[in-house]
Amino acid sequence: MTKTISIKKLKKQENLIGYLFASPWLLGLIVLGAFPILASFYISFTNYDMISAPKFIGLANYRILFTNDALFWKSLGNTFYHVIIAIPLGIIVGVCLALLLNNKIKGMSIYRTLFYLPNVVSIVAMALLWLWLFQPSFGIINEILAPIYKLFNMEPLRWHQAVETSKITLIIMGLWSAGGSMVIYLAQMQDIPYSLYESAEMDGANWIKKTIYITLPLMTPSIFFNFIMGLIGGFQVFTIAYIMTSGGPSRSTYYYAYYMFDKMIADQAMGMASAMAWILLVIVLIFTMVALRLNKYVVYLGEEA
Amino acid sequence: MKKACLIVMIIITGFILASCGGEDTGDKIVIDFWHMSPVGSTSFSGMKSIITDFNESQDEYFVRGTGFSFWDYWDKINVAIASRTAPDIGLSTIDDVEARAVSGALYNISELIEADTSDNNIDLSEFRQSQLDFATYQGDLYAMPFSATTRVLYYNLDMFTEEGLTEADVPTTWEELKTIAKKFDTLDGNELTRLGFDPTYGNATYHGWLWQKGLDFFDDNKLPTLNTQAHIDVLNWIINFNSEYTRNQLTAFGEANNLLGTNPFASQRVAMIVEVDGLYQIIKDAGATFNYGVAPIPIPEGGTRVNWGSGFSIEMYDNGKDETVQRDGAYEFYKYLLSKDIQKRLAEVNGWIMSHITAMEEYVAGNEILEKLLAEVDYAVDKVYIPYAPSWHGNDWQPYYQEALSGTMTAEQALAAARANYLQKKQNYDDTN
Repeated sequence: MTKTISIKKLKKQENLIGYLFASPWLLGLIVLGAFPILASFYISFTNYDMISAPKFIGLANYRILFTNDALFWKSLGNTFYHVIIAIPLGIIVGVCLALLLNNKIKGMSIYRTLFYLPNVVSIVAMALLWLWLFQPSFGIINEILAPIYKLFNMEPLRWHQAVETSKITLIIMGLWSAGGSMVIYLAQMQDIPYSLYESAEMDGANWIKKTIYITLPLMTPSIFFNFIMGLIGGFQVFTIAYIMTSGGPSRSTYYYAYYMFDKMIADQAMGMASAMAWILLVIVLIFTMVALRLNKYVVYLGEEA
Repeated sequence: MKKACLIVMIIITGFILASCGGEDTGDKIVIDFWHMSPVGSTSFSGMKSIITDFNESQDEYFVRGTGFSFWDYWDKINVAIASRTAPDIGLSTIDDVEARAVSGALYNISELIEADTSDNNIDLSEFRQSQLDFATYQGDLYAMPFSATTRVLYYNLDMFTEEGLTEADVPTTWEELKTIAKKFDTLDGNELTRLGFDPTYGNATYHGWLWQKGLDFFDDNKLPTLNTQAHIDVLNWIINFNSEYTRNQLTAFGEANNLLGTNPFASQRVAMIVEVDGLYQIIKDAGATFNYGVAPIPIPEGGTRVNWGSGFSIEMYDNGKDETVQRDGAYEFYKYLLSKDIQKRLAEVNGWIMSHITAMEEYVAGNEILEKLLAEVDYAVDKVYIPYAPSWHGNDWQPYYQEALSGTMTAEQALAAARANYLQKKQNYDDTN
């Protein structure tokens, strides 16, 4: 008799046990994740110096940022520049590397490891290393390029120390870790059925044709994934500029996240910094949503039935 | 094999458990004190023995000292103050005591001094009024000066002798500084290998040079000035000091200095430099063998003898928990740290100039360089705290300064742009406060 109601009960019980097992994680999510997020949303409407209690001031922080803050727009512009160039470049380099490494030659796993290795290095150590490589007067990069400078009779590039080249220098440096996305591309590439290539070969397709008509279209899901991840990460660019250039020269590498950091640490304006964080979130959300909309036009997800 | 593994595991576990024990404080009141001598630093054992001596001198309180490196300290203490988990006693910067006093994070030291009837109370006459002023908010002390920093001109005596100069030739005015500095400039082909002096090297700052002319970044109402011809002239004097060399020559020289990783004065690449008192310790630690001396920073015609002095304050944090016993215990240790003998020991341990006047006079006696460094503390002025731009000399000013120095902006443009930035910051600050 008890058995008839026990199915429902059992379901409830199982749910409870499930939640119980998940509770350490749920608790962590609420306390360490959701609470700070909601708190920062409230703080963005206040004036808060991190010592005395936050004072509610409505939309003033947002109004000031949009209408009376030259550095807000400057840093946002720098960040857009970074995102627009760094992400496509990162994808191109990652895909090219994956194409190169998708071969059956000896010692391939060693090459793959080597290209992935920069992702294991701490970004701080990496920035310090590149600081020396790009050093205009003594750095190894200018040393190698010296014959070219001589050939064209030009001044050696000052890389991260000149306004014209600083942003690009940091982007080039970032490409060093393209091996991270390369691994994902490679995994998908090796998932492509060999029969497709076989039939293409029968039709007389060469390597370039096979790449353009088979490999790349079938790789669009992973390219899209890396594009979204790159977008989110690109808008948060901070560490390399903080260590290598301190935002200079002439604030040319003063990125949005850097300004947000300064607002909080140097100006002790936590309210304003929180408002900046929420503006950034909205920007990233808009871009991601647009990208997701475009998803169905560019991403190949198999033949439709 | 299994047995060996097991034994190793047991030993390791034993060590871990043993290290969890911590000190036995009995039923003493525990006072937390944060300082800048972390484990592994040269000053660690000295600081530890100062704390241990206090703990052994009485049986009511137990001071638990925690050291952080200078670079980590500021984040830790700021977060602790904000989250109301600050230690009972800690160090901070003296020029912004006001900000913490306003928000109620600090105990009123004047009240504690007044309420204390013991004979080891703090003797305020042993501290410089200029430093006490920075620790004062609405007529009451909210911190005490702990250490003092001063900036002086270091000169390489061996290089002076080489050029047939003596200590009598050490420059005292801007004009002399330039004339004498030029004697030391050395070129190897097209490459600079030695400079006499550069007004941007070491710890020389634009505001430091301005002060000597009686100028400043802000007026008495904390409004940015910077827009007068005198401001432009001083900046141009800095820019043009070594203008007979090309920008590339100067940059390469500066970069080579950085490459060596030591202070350019300590590596004998400049004959003179404006630096803080800490350079004395750096030269000593580096085991440098050259002869050198220190002198007041040269001043312009009709200028004032002044240098940018900053310093640490020592503060008692009020976490809003209304703990009188805890507070009184902390004050006992506070008095101990500010007593003459301990200040002397702290000077020795950290290599800092401490704030206690008599203690320092006794400490430096007989050491000519230290005596001169201490003498300059009397001419040291700290930078003013600007609520709308707490980092006015750092983040806010440096980008414009760099533009002026690298020639991408003229002195006039850089100053105008910097001023506009301060004004915008002020407007936005007023708008939200």
